[in-house]
Amino acid sequence: MPLLEIDDLYTNIRLKQGEVKAVGGVSISINAGETVGLVGESGCGKTMTGMSIMRLLPASGYIASGKVKLDGRDLVAISEEEMRAVRGNDIGMIFQDPMTSLNPCLTIGSQIAEAVALHRKVKKAKAMERAIEVLNLVGMPKPQERINDYPHQLSGGLRQRVMIAMALSCEPKLLIADEPTTALDVTIQAQILELLDSLKDQLGMAMLLITHDMGVIAGRADRVVVMYAGKVVEQASTEEIFASTNHPYTEALLASIPKMDGSVARLYSIPGIPPDLSNPPTGCRFADRCRLASDQCRDNEPPLVTNDQNHSFACFHPVGIEANHVKITLKVEAEEIQRIEHADRKPLMVLEHVSKEFDITKGAILQRKAGTLKAVSDLSLTIYDGETIGIVGESGCGKSTTGSMMVALEKPTSGKVLFNGEDLFGHKPKELRLIRSNLQLMFQDPYASLDPRMSVGTIIREPLDINKIGTSQEREKKVISLLSEVGLSSRAVERYPHEFSGGQRQRIGLARALALNPKLIVADEPVSALDVSIRSQVLNLMKDLQRTHGLTYVVISHDLSVVRFLADRIGVMYLGKLVEIGTGYDIYENPAHPYTAALLSAVPEPEPEREKTKVRKIIKGELPSAINPPSGCRFRTRCERATDLCAKEEPPMTSFGALHQAACHFPLISKVEIRTGAAAF
Amino acid sequence: MIAFLVKRVGQSVIVLIGVSIIAFILEHLLPGGPAKAILGGRASPFQIAAFNHANGLDKPIWEQYFVYTGNLLHGNLGRSYKLNQTVNSVLATDLPKSIILVGSALILSLIIAIPVGIFQAVRRNGIYDYAATSVSFLLYSMPSFWLGIILILAFAVNLHIFPSEAPQGQTIGAIITNPRAMFLPVITLTLVSYASFTRYMRSSAIEALAQDWIRTAKAKGLSQRVILFKHMLRNALIPIATLVGLSLPSLITAGVVTESVFNFPGTGFRFINAANTEDYPLLLGIIIVIGVMTVVGNLLADITYAVLDPRVRYR
Repeated sequence: MPLLEIDDLYTNIRLKQGEVKAVGGVSISINAGETVGLVGESGCGKTMTGMSIMRLLPASGYIASGKVKLDGRDLVAISEEEMRAVRGNDIGMIFQDPMTSLNPCLTIGSQIAEAVALHRKVKKAKAMERAIEVLNLVGMPKPQERINDYPHQLSGGLRQRVMIAMALSCEPKLLIADEPTTALDVTIQAQILELLDSLKDQLGMAMLLITHDMGVIAGRADRVVVMYAGKVVEQASTEEIFASTNHPYTEALLASIPKMDGSVARLYSIPGIPPDLSNPPTGCRFADRCRLASDQCRDNEPPLVTNDQNHSFACFHPVGIEANHVKITLKVEAEEIQRIEHADRKPLMVLEHVSKEFDITKGAILQRKAGTLKAVSDLSLTIYDGETIGIVGESGCGKSTTGSMMVALEKPTSGKVLFNGEDLFGHKPKELRLIRSNLQLMFQDPYASLDPRMSVGTIIREPLDINKIGTSQEREKKVISLLSEVGLSSRAVERYPHEFSGGQRQRIGLARALALNPKLIVADEPVSALDVSIRSQVLNLMKDLQRTHGLTYVVISHDLSVVRFLADRIGVMYLGKLVEIGTGYDIYENPAHPYTAALLSAVPEPEPEREKTKVRKIIKGELPSAINPPSGCRFRTRCERATDLCAKEEPPMTSFGALHQAACHFPLISKVEIRTGAAAF
Repeated sequence: MIAFLVKRVGQSVIVLIGVSIIAFILEHLLPGGPAKAILGGRASPFQIAAFNHANGLDKPIWEQYFVYTGNLLHGNLGRSYKLNQTVNSVLATDLPKSIILVGSALILSLIIAIPVGIFQAVRRNGIYDYAATSVSFLLYSMPSFWLGIILILAFAVNLHIFPSEAPQGQTIGAIITNPRAMFLPVITLTLVSYASFTRYMRSSAIEALAQDWIRTAKAKGLSQRVILFKHMLRNALIPIATLVGLSLPSLITAGVVTESVFNFPGTGFRFINAANTEDYPLLLGIIIVIGVMTVVGNLLADITYAVLDPRVRYR
């Protein structure tokens, strides 16, 4: 008998008018000790399925029918009081955002201990002892001292450890992890996933891993359940589902993810958006976006059938046969490199020894300077006309500050930013305004970066109005042409941002950035707020627009596969320093800096074979403070190769190839002599 | 925490100096001046000059201010010529009575508003929530003197349950030993401040209940009671602490009006009389004392805030 058996579960959410059928007949079973991955895009019902198990639905949500059996006991049928004894005791749950999931007014010790005191019926002191024990288990440094800390005193990674400790404090049989690492940096993500894996084995519990990230699933799950629009569309063992995908949605989802090896020139993108679940379509819910859909799919719902490999899928036209596979345009690596090396290398923007420091003030009445936060330190970089530079690094590494200086939003503390050979900050404010039209930003959050009270037409026209470009009619025309370029209809002009989906909003943001025909667009996390299938549409669009407009991009992202897909050259930043730069091939296949290598090995890839056998070089510890960065090489405190030399002397940038440079005393590959004429970094 | 306190006390002192300067200047801008008010409209210019000289009123205004603040620092608020008493002694008898009135109304309104607000938040958009919302909007839009008169009409004139006048004794003992007479003035003030407290408590509780950590608490298997009173309440009270501090001036103002309506022998009633009889030293004394109380109240609110919210405490 499986540990957990979800049988034909229907969960609805009441709206003012009608109901959203969030979960529409889901059946999943989880065996003891097994990890089941539940994947799908936002709104597919994966979180609602998890919340239905715990019976923690929002006030307007309810389980319409179905059973959720834990050890044979139907959790749907028991009373609320009996259910409370299950929560936190038989089933533990961890949530996505550790920053908001802990009560800010209670110490972490008391938050863990209260679950223990409740379920184990022990005294407070005893519960506190257990809290220390589990904090120790989840790798919290010095747990005795930390139990009296408040959540805001801990970093994101440590807070997620506290969340895990809380969920595991009563040794549940099942752990539901809802996007446990989505809000964390890759190196911390790797630490947390590794921790979850080892704890699962240690405690012999089962895990339901809910995520949108195919890479996380590939390395950690025994079995994968794919959901789309409230239904399970495919289910099989992890190896099986990646090796012989049957449902067109699963296949399309995998094809829309940029690959870390950079082999894809153009991503597959699923057209359209998911259906409205308050009025779901009658036939297959994916039919409208499926390239194989027939009339049969639109009229009848395909049943979930299971083949002999224990692989179930709900599709009339499975993609198992070769002819049905999606066509993916592959990049020819040699051509790419040639294109970059022989491009007309006219520098567009040059950063010369740029540093940016922010003063930290302290004190009761008189604010005195307590230190400086070194956001960016001595960064030199040349951006050539028409290329795409990617900047990667963990949060707090200074990549966004660098982007802000490139578009003249932040003035460097020292150093120069030259645009077309002229110092950006040597201009009078009026001249700078003219130059600014050449430098545009594309923002991360499409929900926050458009004024909700301005129509889309006004939003896109505003830059033209401000700079008094053309007549009123010309501006209107320009707006319409920009909209069509980003793939939106001219009817959008009259509408407001809230009427659009996230992907469409990001297109509007791109149209606004393009309005002044800029030379350089700095895209700060351009797709991190978007779902996988929408993400690939925007990424393809960015590539197309670069070609038609001759744009130069600076793509700032924590997502290494996105940067690999877009960028010609990639810079890796660590704690305000540029530690390595090179072509995609240099960085991803032949990294010189240990940090680059560790960062790459931390990224989970959607390839189960590789993920399960990969020797992970997990970076230990947390990012040091940028107020007091380590002396010498800033990475030395977390580096395996570090010696006394690294503490004493800062490693200079040295060449490892025509376009490849890194700053390390003990690089992973051997140095080469600088070829004349290629001394660009 | 100590740095935080030092900073807030420092700010309070600056505010108080500002209050005393503004009040002092305003008083001296009033037409007539104290001499005319004391000696009467028919006093000769010679008499006025003699009076001004005797009381130091012919000195430059800044010098008068320094004399006044010098006295203030020694705890001397001056002398009311009209009542022929020191301001200190007037306030010593009146102020405790007003503090009892306003203080008990404040405490009572919080005791009612906090549970009602939580109840409304838990049952939001239900019939009880809408009913409670209607009541608080009705009270919110009602001026205190109007509410006082309505209550007198209903409970004193028609129903004869409570007396229409507040207790008239001079001592605190006389006030607190007559709770029946205290009832209407306290209730008037309570209802006026209840309305805004319960609105804020409702929205602050709704906001707290929507937080991710409430979901975490539920996932631990905690009961609704523990979630509400251990996890939610403390977070939801943080904005209320600030609100109470900020509403002190309006509560004191409402107190002045209520004291007049119920003929309550407190500072507010005294203040109105002092204004009518142009008793400047008493007016100034009351303004300064109310200013100090407001500032101290705000300071207490800020300290409460820091006690409730560790993020403020550990900054």
